[in-house]
Amino acid sequence: MPSLSQPPSIDVHDMHFSYGDACALKSITLAIPENRVTAMIGPSGCGKSTLLRCFNRMNDEIPGARVTHGSIHIGGIEIHHPSVDVVKLRRNVGMIFQKSNPFPRSIHDNVAFGLQLHGSQNRDLIAESVESALRSAALWDEVKDRLHDSALGLSGGQQQRLCIARSLAVKPRILLMDEPCSALDPIATAKIEDLVRTLKEQYTLIIVTHNMQQASRISDHTAFFYLGELIEFSDTLKLFSNPSNPLTENYIRGTFS
Amino acid sequence: MPPEESPSPQNQHCFQRRGFSYDRAIKYFFASNAGLTIVILLLIIVFLLKEGLGFFPGYRRELEIYRIAGLEFVDISRRNLTAHEQLSSVLNRAYFAEINGQCARELKRTREASAVFNSFSDQTSATRDLIVNNQNSGLDPNSEMLAALRKNHAIQKEKALTSLPATPHLTAAEREQLLASIRTRDATATDDPPLVTTLAQQYAAAQQQCAKPLAELRTVIDSFEAAGADLSTLVTEMTDAVTSTKEALQNADLLEQNRKSLLAAAANAKDPTERRKLLADAHASLAEKPDIEGPMRALMRRQPDCSATHTALRHACADILARLPPSLSQSDANRLLRAANKATPLLLDSLGQAPQQITQWRHDKPVPLSDAIRSFLTGKDWVTGGAWQDFYGILPLLIGSLMISFVALCLAIPAGVGAAIYINQFASPTEQSVVKPVIEFIAAIPSVVLGFIGILIFGTVLRDLSQLDALAWVPGFPIEERLNMFTAGCLLALMSIPTIFSLAEDALNNVPSAYAEASDALGASRIQTSFRVIIPAAFSGILAAVLLGLGRVIGETMVVLLVAGNRIKIPDFSAGLGSFFQPSHTLTGIIAQELGEVPLGSVHYRALFVVGILLFGIVLGINVTAHKFVSRTPN
Ligand SMILES: Nc1ncnc2c1ncn2[C@@H]1O[C@H](COP(=O)(O)OP(=O)(O)OP(=O)(O)O)[C@@H](O)[C@H]1O
Ligand SMILES: [Mg+2]
Repeated sequence: MPSLSQPPSIDVHDMHFSYGDACALKSITLAIPENRVTAMIGPSGCGKSTLLRCFNRMNDEIPGARVTHGSIHIGGIEIHHPSVDVVKLRRNVGMIFQKSNPFPRSIHDNVAFGLQLHGSQNRDLIAESVESALRSAALWDEVKDRLHDSALGLSGGQQQRLCIARSLAVKPRILLMDEPCSALDPIATAKIEDLVRTLKEQYTLIIVTHNMQQASRISDHTAFFYLGELIEFSDTLKLFSNPSNPLTENYIRGTFS
Repeated sequence: MPPEESPSPQNQHCFQRRGFSYDRAIKYFFASNAGLTIVILLLIIVFLLKEGLGFFPGYRRELEIYRIAGLEFVDISRRNLTAHEQLSSVLNRAYFAEINGQCARELKRTREASAVFNSFSDQTSATRDLIVNNQNSGLDPNSEMLAALRKNHAIQKEKALTSLPATPHLTAAEREQLLASIRTRDATATDDPPLVTTLAQQYAAAQQQCAKPLAELRTVIDSFEAAGADLSTLVTEMTDAVTSTKEALQNADLLEQNRKSLLAAAANAKDPTERRKLLADAHASLAEKPDIEGPMRALMRRQPDCSATHTALRHACADILARLPPSLSQSDANRLLRAANKATPLLLDSLGQAPQQITQWRHDKPVPLSDAIRSFLTGKDWVTGGAWQDFYGILPLLIGSLMISFVALCLAIPAGVGAAIYINQFASPTEQSVVKPVIEFIAAIPSVVLGFIGILIFGTVLRDLSQLDALAWVPGFPIEERLNMFTAGCLLALMSIPTIFSLAEDALNNVPSAYAEASDALGASRIQTSFRVIIPAAFSGILAAVLLGLGRVIGETMVVLLVAGNRIKIPDFSAGLGSFFQPSHTLTGIIAQELGEVPLGSVHYRALFVVGILLFGIVLGINVTAHKFVSRTPN
């Protein structure tokens, strides 16, 4: 995929997705704009993670999982096309997981990992990138004196921000976040939310969340999914104040059954 | 059942336990099983220690007798004599290697011709013997029988003629001639075929021819050999004297032991008449103290003579190096010559120190227990059941065990860990479902069967391979012994591969999938994820797998007993890597081999127990370290 100067937009067109015979997503059509935070909400099992993992083709690793119909374009390129290099796609589309997963190495090595993967050797350059990634993830001040301690010694919230720094270090254009705050306390959550707000200037962000307040606080657009289908996608303000679909209304009011 | 839990039924509360519940019965059943294994383990350790620790005092006494009987004194001369004899033998071997190397063609030709003829003889000899017997069986040979036998012989001859070994160094005409002479040969003929005789003569002539320019070397070697004669007679004379003293001492020790047990029995006897009888017996068996001073004085009188002989021998050998040629034409001969060059200064040194050792030696110097321990741990000889003196030095066995394990690990680590990495990281599900059971199937081969295969197939194939000219560059090739440390190591590698493979695969499997996911999401390729994330994270688990494999290898008995060659000797490290192709004995093998034959309670028996304790300690240490590594694996 060509290098992109602007954060790209994502275009999903009439996409169907199955795990083996089980259909997980049905006829999803949605256009995620660049330089915005898009939230994805919906009840458990409705396919939010599945869709998110389609965007950097993480589902490739699951046997039997495949897109059965439709297309996903990122920056104008169909990402399932055989000519697309997954490694390059994933460099451009970073991902943060629900459960923080730092490697059992030092803080520095965690952040430097992605750079070394892609062939950086120069120690000074790496140190510079590590620092700027940690600063972007608002973690630098907390860890600058212990860069060579094990990452597993950090708190849960710090580990999650470390994972964000690790993703930022390879300079992606899009950042996918799958319930990044679900295991965190309100203070750590607030820090990550602040971070998301600052990151949107440089990145296209998509965040899956079960927390309605969080979605309304940080996102510009919100998509509501139900049973593998996209029910409603619009401006966050509009979706939360004046949902057009009764299902959405029930869900955000908490009177969902 | 504790008493406070059984109050009278009337005032029992409904929450209180009543009687002996089923759950508790099951719990006690399993607890007792677990307890039993621990008790048995403790009993084994206690038994090992009880039997083994008696070894050191017993061995100390043996070493003491070795000293006060004068054997130690004689050994100073014996060692030098042996070194001298070995050097002579090396020189002789160099000499013959040179001659045979120069006559290699003739040697090969005569060997091939003889091989053909021998193969023919082997295949027909049974019938031939019958014919000869029949003809010699008195006045009336059974002619019918004879005719049948002759016919049989002719058939066998035809068959044999089609299956004779190849003769690459004989010309086609020569081979034809040889076959013709065999074909036309009478069944009862005893002479060799003419070609065999001629080739043998040619070989002898060539040998003589080659020996001519080496005549000088021959005289040097001969005079070197002859110089040892005096020392040899001296040692023989002294040996007779000291061994009789030693026997007397040992017998006295036995009687004393006997007396002590009689006294102990008497002390325990209840019946007064029996006690009196036992005491009388004990008294009667009171041994005379054997005279050691007399023989010792006689031995010490030889001291000056002994020193003088050493000095003379040293003088005679001093210029041997200068008189040897700097190099010979054959590589084998050169290797031996180099060995002689290395050994000579050592011999001269040892001969030079001998007079001082001889005059300083004291028969009444005490032998502390620490000497026995040191002799066991650092002794270079394990000699048992000999007429001279038994030594229990663990070093040759330990080195054998370690070298075999080293070979085994060198082969098993790449194979086992490599297979585990491939199967866990790269193989398709079908490959996994085929390869995994197959590797684990190897573990099901009984070790005795594996040893059997090792002797019959692997050892033979390896030796035949080593004789190929194309492989002559491999250090240690051609190998002399079919059974050696390398062969044993290869088989042990095969045995430990399933262990290493399964445990390493488990370790890789235990790496959390979140690590792989994180790495993939950063844009790592498959190989990068495996080698930069998964394998480092599983590293301590893989190390533990290797260590447990090592424990299995060191503790394995059957294969090494069958295949390692069982020669109790520290390998000759001058052969470099080739020293792995020498036979050796092992800690496990020696116990298996000797424990059945030793008298119960003897020093030798106890020595084997100490070897067992050592082995137990080593394997325990390895396993404990391995478990430390396992517990360090992140989850
Ligand atoms: N690896 C898989 N193999 C088979 N089916 C799967 C797999 N992962 C998810 N599914 C199925 O796909 C559907 C969507 O799952 P997904 O994980 O996308 O839900 P989600 O919206 O992220 O839920 P949650 O909010 O609980 O995380 C579910 O019915 C689930 O059972
Ligand atoms: Mg999910």
